[in-house]
Amino acid sequence: MASITVPMPGARPQTGTRIRVADIFRWSVDHKIIGIQYMLTAGFFFLIGGALAMGIRWELLTPNLDVVADGQQYNQLFSIHGTVMIFLWIIPMLAGFGNYLVPLMLGAKDMAFPWLNAFAFWLIPPAGILMLLGWFVGQTEAGWTSYPPLSTLYSLDGQTLWALSLHILGLSSILGAINFIVTVKNMRPQGMGYFQMPLFVWAVLATSIIIVMATPFLAGALTLLILDRVAGTAFFNPAQGGDVLLWQNVFWFYSHPAVYIMVLPAFGVISEVLSVHSRKPIFGYRAIALSSMAIALVGFTVWAHHMFTSLTPELRIPFMITSMIIAVPTGIKVFSWLGTIFMGKIHFTSAMLFALGFLSMFVIGGISGVMLAAVPFDIHVHDTYFVVSHLHFVLFGGSVFGIYAGVYHWFPKITGRMMDERLGRIHFVLTYIGFFFTFFPQHILGMAGMPRRVSVYAPEFQGLNVVVSLAAFVLGISTLLIIWNVIVSLRSGKKAGANPWRALTLEWATTSPPPATNFVGDPVPYADPYGYGTTGSKAYLDALERSYGESEYPSPDAPKTLQKVGAPAGD
Amino acid sequence: MEQSLSRADQIALNNRRTGVTIFQISWIMVFVCLSLVNFQIRSNFAAWPPVGVVALDRVLPTIATAALLVSGIAARGGRRAVNAGQVTAFLFQWRIALLLGVIFTLIMGFQWLTVDGGGLGAQYGTIFRVMVAYHAVHALIIGWMMWGVQRSAVRGEYDDGNPMRTWLIEACARLWYFVIVAWILFYVVLYIV
Repeated sequence: MASITVPMPGARPQTGTRIRVADIFRWSVDHKIIGIQYMLTAGFFFLIGGALAMGIRWELLTPNLDVVADGQQYNQLFSIHGTVMIFLWIIPMLAGFGNYLVPLMLGAKDMAFPWLNAFAFWLIPPAGILMLLGWFVGQTEAGWTSYPPLSTLYSLDGQTLWALSLHILGLSSILGAINFIVTVKNMRPQGMGYFQMPLFVWAVLATSIIIVMATPFLAGALTLLILDRVAGTAFFNPAQGGDVLLWQNVFWFYSHPAVYIMVLPAFGVISEVLSVHSRKPIFGYRAIALSSMAIALVGFTVWAHHMFTSLTPELRIPFMITSMIIAVPTGIKVFSWLGTIFMGKIHFTSAMLFALGFLSMFVIGGISGVMLAAVPFDIHVHDTYFVVSHLHFVLFGGSVFGIYAGVYHWFPKITGRMMDERLGRIHFVLTYIGFFFTFFPQHILGMAGMPRRVSVYAPEFQGLNVVVSLAAFVLGISTLLIIWNVIVSLRSGKKAGANPWRALTLEWATTSPPPATNFVGDPVPYADPYGYGTTGSKAYLDALERSYGESEYPSPDAPKTLQKVGAPAGD
Repeated sequence: MEQSLSRADQIALNNRRTGVTIFQISWIMVFVCLSLVNFQIRSNFAAWPPVGVVALDRVLPTIATAALLVSGIAARGGRRAVNAGQVTAFLFQWRIALLLGVIFTLIMGFQWLTVDGGGLGAQYGTIFRVMVAYHAVHALIIGWMMWGVQRSAVRGEYDDGNPMRTWLIEACARLWYFVIVAWILFYVVLYIV
């Protein structure tokens, strides 16, 4: 397919710009620094959200109150846990990947609006702090969904701070998404049409479209909530002609698409990792790319499946149908990924292990999602631990596994050093086992009738809850391993070189870390970003090595010699 | 004139245009959201406005809407004039656009203050006030930007017709169109449907 074999006409080996600690705390318009700022900020909030999760599971070790003084404190724990994990961990973390990678993958020197990019990031830390400050004025207790009247009549001032914080985060998200769309539309290099873009860029584009169309609904809902709380309006108070379902409709019109905001970029990461580490062309490139768009579109038609128990019966069936239809483009992706790794020369690197973990765990989340789309089943398990399990299989088994795969895959590019693969595998095993036994038994608990959002439960549920809590502690400890790995690898990891995975996308056609302007001159993309196994791609990768020097291959199971062999699924 | 720009400037200008367009498409969704909120609130009442509540007068807001539409035409004319290097014509049309915008804001401000929003009309008045105020915030901010552009023109900052500088005029005009489109949506929801 490809004829271009010289990635960087006239390129000379460049010295990458190493990012200093001080840069992280400074206003910068460099997309790479901003990307790292996003990731570190999100990582910080992940630790807070994770600590809250540990508190929740500690409380649930026994059926009685042990850790928290009362149900009110417990409500605060899970409300902030959910909000932090969604709005301050997953969304900004994936935005961090987008910021760091999209311009590099497009061969651009920066995002379309560098200043706006920095501004969008710097909205996040104060918004996060504002949300946490709620603990000083009576933290929100209404869950991350904040349904009225819990969030209007029965919440303290922390609920108002929560709403303000989300308003700011929503604005940040919209500004970031506008930047991504403009960058993708206008800043692709010559020779890169939409269907030559890396699939991660497609995923970011689809995500950004969802953000710009759906997040304004969150802004509308939050405005009304704040007015009800501070200005005496009664939009959500039926006693004064308001409507509690109004919030549910508007909130879910944003928040269901938000699920795809959280998972589509992870899909993009997985597409990159599976292809590169299987040394095979991606199976069904257009199907994967266009299914992201289909998910973005259909995602706007499913919101009321969150309201099956409160929805008028005649509306349930249409939303059940659309909710099931959205499984189709997702299924297309899953089968395409399986087709990608089938007969591939799989290198079980840490990144690949997490990508494979993603495949298995996300599929379980998808299947339980189809189950929940069925009205009779949904009504049976509504507000039970089945729902908790489903959402964690999607958001942890999907998004977080995707994030971990992305960290292991792109850490060498970002830092110039390889991560420790042995620690990475231990991290994977602990995460996989900890995750599965934390969330799978919750299906059983939910079907047996254990409600979500309770600190005191019936004694017959204790056995499984102990299993869940112990597994959650393993999962919590596993998180410390990746942090340790990052620290150790930053200090003493092997030098990565420009392209340690011999990948074809443009971010690898520059030094690790890249120089301030990313590339010298205009890089020429290889025509098929997943064309592994062709003579043309081998020539392209060899030309890269001549420009930048050979990279160390990190995996003990796949020595460099093997990696370079032109097997059926070779370069 | 734009052809004489460097490639980097052309890309920057193109990016700005695309960015504003996407912002418009995105932010109009808040207005769509508030319109849907209006419909859901009124669906809880047997009649809208609720029985016993005085309906909003339509004459004044129709005049205000007409003024706003004409202001859009004037802003467009101003934008074209400055592109043709006619700064004086730009100033004339731009000021008309601003004046009509002020008239629109005053009329709607009057109706905002006098709407029947007490007792039975609480929801009727509240949703009206929220929608109009939300729109007014946008109109005032963008109107203030247009005022700033007008002052820059008086200082001669657009005399050379440099597209990178006159972009500010284009941006303001595009955002003013946004205010108009958003208002037409609200006008239909509040007074027609």
